[in-house]
Amino acid sequence: MTENQTNIRSFSRPISGDELRRPPCEAACPIHTDAQRYIQLVAENRPAEALAVVRQTNPLPQVIGRICPHPCEDACRRGQVDEPIAICNLKRVASDGAKTGGLGYDPPRPDFTIGKKVAIIGSGPSGLGAAHDLALLGVRPVIFESQSEAGGFLRTGILNYRLPKHILDEDIDYIRGMGVEIRTGVKVGEDIAFDELADEYDAVLIAVGLSESRSLPAPGADLPQVLLAVPFLEAVNAGREAPELGKEIIVIGGGNVAIDAARSARRLSGGKVTMVCLETDYEMPAHSWEIEDATAEGVSIICSQGPNAIMGDGKVEGLEVKKCESVFDEQGRFAPRFCETELSVVPGDTVIIAIGQMSNLSFLPGSGPEVNERGILIFDREQCTTTRRGVFASGEVVTGPGAAVNALASGKRAAIAVARYLGADVDFPPEPDPIGEVPPGVAEKVKPAPRRKMPARPAGERSGDFDEVELGLPEVEARCEASRCLLCSAGARYSELKCIACLTCVRVCPYGATWHDREGLAGISPERCQVCGICFTQCPTKAIDIGVKSEEQIEAEIEAALTGGGKDLEFGCWYSQARVTPDAAAVILPCTGRLSVRLLLHAVERGAERVYVAVCSESEDGHFIHGHRQTRAAVAEAKKAIAEAGLDPGAIEIRIEPELKCKKNV
Amino acid sequence: MTDDCENVLVAGCNTCVAVCLTGGEKEAEQLAQQLRIARRREGIRGKVDTVTVLRQCENEYLDAIAVQVEEADIVLSTACSIGPQGLVFRYPRKRVAPAMNTNMLGYVREHHVWTEYCAACGSCVIAATGGICPVARCAKTLLNGPCGGSRNGRCEISPEVPCVWQEIYDRLAALGDLDSLKRIIGPKKWNLSNSGGPRTMKKEGFEP
Repeated sequence: MTENQTNIRSFSRPISGDELRRPPCEAACPIHTDAQRYIQLVAENRPAEALAVVRQTNPLPQVIGRICPHPCEDACRRGQVDEPIAICNLKRVASDGAKTGGLGYDPPRPDFTIGKKVAIIGSGPSGLGAAHDLALLGVRPVIFESQSEAGGFLRTGILNYRLPKHILDEDIDYIRGMGVEIRTGVKVGEDIAFDELADEYDAVLIAVGLSESRSLPAPGADLPQVLLAVPFLEAVNAGREAPELGKEIIVIGGGNVAIDAARSARRLSGGKVTMVCLETDYEMPAHSWEIEDATAEGVSIICSQGPNAIMGDGKVEGLEVKKCESVFDEQGRFAPRFCETELSVVPGDTVIIAIGQMSNLSFLPGSGPEVNERGILIFDREQCTTTRRGVFASGEVVTGPGAAVNALASGKRAAIAVARYLGADVDFPPEPDPIGEVPPGVAEKVKPAPRRKMPARPAGERSGDFDEVELGLPEVEARCEASRCLLCSAGARYSELKCIACLTCVRVCPYGATWHDREGLAGISPERCQVCGICFTQCPTKAIDIGVKSEEQIEAEIEAALTGGGKDLEFGCWYSQARVTPDAAAVILPCTGRLSVRLLLHAVERGAERVYVAVCSESEDGHFIHGHRQTRAAVAEAKKAIAEAGLDPGAIEIRIEPELKCKKNV
Repeated sequence: MTDDCENVLVAGCNTCVAVCLTGGEKEAEQLAQQLRIARRREGIRGKVDTVTVLRQCENEYLDAIAVQVEEADIVLSTACSIGPQGLVFRYPRKRVAPAMNTNMLGYVREHHVWTEYCAACGSCVIAATGGICPVARCAKTLLNGPCGGSRNGRCEISPEVPCVWQEIYDRLAALGDLDSLKRIIGPKKWNLSNSGGPRTMKKEGFEP
C-alpha cells in the first residue's frame, strides 16, 4: 500500500506529461520572464516582489520595462479575447513601485567561485546581460567600453524621451553593484590590443553591437548637410552640440532608428520633418506605436519611395526619389524593385540617413577570430563560439539588428556558454512549450475588460523637449490592467492518484475544461481552464489543486494575515479590487468563487473573529461564471458549520463593495 | 461524544461517500475543522486530525492507518456505516463512532441530487418490472401495483414523488410489453433481506 492511496497529496500538471507547458507570454519572451507571476503581484500591489520576479531573468528591468517591443504581448492569449495585457507597462509599474517603496535595489554580491575572469567587449544590453549572469554563475566579468559611459546603444542610440538617462544609470549601477567592473573610455584595438585581452583573460566575449550607420551610395551623399543616424543620435544623446539642422529635414529609412532620428530632429529644429521609406505603411519595420508617436508629434511619412539622389550644389536642396514597387522578393528577402521613370522631389535642407547599421570589427587581429567574406563574424549560434578558442560573441554583432531584449537574451546565452567553457556546472535552459489558443466558445465567456492605456504627455508639449513621454500607469489602473491576465497554464490540475472519477468537476466547470472518458480517465484542458477555482472547491477527494493561489498558498496567506494581531479577515478580489472592510487584514483572491468552506473555516480556526467576503455585485456570476453562486454556497455552508460548533454564524459575512475601482473589469 | 477525548481522528473514505459528497477527504477535513472550532470554544485540550483511505470496507486500507488510529482516543468515521464497523473489527479496543448517517443506495439523477434506487433486498425483481425497482421506489413496496393512491403519475405521499408503478407501466407500454404485467409476482422471500440475519457472499475457488 503506498501512501498516495491514503491521503498524501501529489499533483500533476494540467495534463500528465505536460510539465513544461507555460504561458505563451513567457515562451515568446526572448529571456522567458515569468510575466504572469509579476503581473499577479502587481495586481495585488506588491511591486517589490514583482520586481524580484522580473529580476530573476532580466538584468535590465527598468530599461526593458520602457523600450521593449514586447513580443510577449503578441503571444498573449488575452488578445484572443479582446486586447493583450499591457505586459511591458506592468513591468515598469513593478520597478517604479518598488523604487517608490525604496525596495528592490540591493544587488546580490556573488562570490566569484569559479576563479576565472572574462573580458566583455561592449556594454550594451548583450554585454551587460552576459556580465550580470556570469557574475551570478561565479565568473568575474570585466567590461571594456569605448565610450565614456556604459550602456552601448541604449545610451548613444535611444533618446531620453523614451529612456531617461538616470533610469539607464540605475540599471547599470545595479550590475556594477554586483561586482561587475566596467572600464569605460577604453578602445580595444587602440588602448589595448585584442590579443592582450585574450592572453590576460580566461575568455573573451565580443558584444560590440552595430555601432556604425550604413551610408547611401547615391549622388549628393557627401554634402555637408547629410548626416548619418548613429553619430547624429550619439551627439544628441551626449548633449553635444548637434550638427546644425535646417528647417526641412528628410530622414531616409523606415525602421525604429529612423523614427528616433525623426523625432529628435523634430525636437531640435521645431521644423518640418519627413521620413521617406521604401516600404508601404504596413511593411515598415518600425513598431506601430513608434510610428503613431512620431506622427502625433508632427513627423510626416512618405512610403514606397526610394532615394535616387540628394539634390543640391554644395548645399542640400531636396531628395529625388523613385517609386518603389516592391521591397521583398518571393522568398521574403530584401530585394527592392523600383520604377526608374517615376521620379519626384521631396524638398528639404537636411538629410539624415537611417537605412541600417553595421559592426566595426577593425579591432580584431589577423590571428582571428575569423570573419566571413561579407565581413561578419563566423559564429556558432548554439555554443556562442567563434573560430578562436576561448573567444565568444553575442548580441547584434552576430544576430543582426533587433530589440534590446533579444541582445539581452543573446548575452545571457553567451554567459552560460562561457561559464560552461570555464568549468561551471550549468546547462542551457529548455525552451518552454506554450499552451494553445483560447478555444472557440471559451473566449466569449471571458468578461471583457479594456486594456488600460499608458498616459503620455500631449504631443504638442513633448515634441519640444527630450523629457520622458510616457508617464507610467497609475497604481489603480495598473492593478486593473494586471487583473485582466488569464493566468494561462496556472489553472486547475489534478492528481491521477487521488481522482476517483466522480464527475463533480466535469459537471461544475463553466468552461468545459474538465473531462472524463468511459474508462474513468480524467483530464483538465489548460486551454479551456480560466482558473476560476470552482472545481477545486468542490472536488470531494481534494484531487484538484490550482496553480495560482493553491490551497496551501491561501492557507499560508490567511495565517500571515492573522499573525501580527489581525482580528478580522477580509477576502478580497483582485479583478474588482473589491475591499469593503479596510480595517480587516486582507487575503486577495482571483474572485471569491475560489473560496472553499475549508478556507473559510480555516480563517475562523486561525483566530479570525469576523470573516468578510467582499464581492463586486449581487449577481450569480462574479468575474467568472457562477463565481458568486459558489461564494454564497460556501459562505452558507461555513455559517452552518460554525453555528453547529457553537459560534455566531454572523461571524462570516458577504459584503458587497459599493465603489469598485475596477468597474470595467466586472 | 468526543469531549472526554484528547486525541480525535476523523477518518474519511474516498470512494462511495466521496462521490456522494458526504464523507470523502474534503468532508472529513471540514468536520475536523468544525470540531476543532467547537472544542477550542469549550476549552477542550487535545487535537483533531484526519486521515482518509480509499475504502474503509477493506482490511488492507484500514491497516494502512494503524499508526493514526492507535494514537487516537476515538475515531469518527465519515464512511457509510460499514466503515466504523470495519474499524471496530480491525481495532477491537478502539472507540469508534459514526460521523455520517447512511441513508440509501442512490442514483444521481442530476448533480447534487441522489434518489434511492435499490433496497438491497436480496431477491431482485426488476427483470419483471421493466428494469425499475418497486421495492425501493414504491412507498408501499408493492410488487403488483399500482395502488389506489396513484394520482396523475404521482404518489399520494407527496406530489414531489413520482408513482413508480406509473413509471413501470409507461416503460412497458413503450416496449410493447404490457402483457407481462398480467403475470402476478409471487410472494417475496424477505428472509433474503435484512430479516434473515446478516447476509454473506463468498466467491468460491479463487482464494489467494
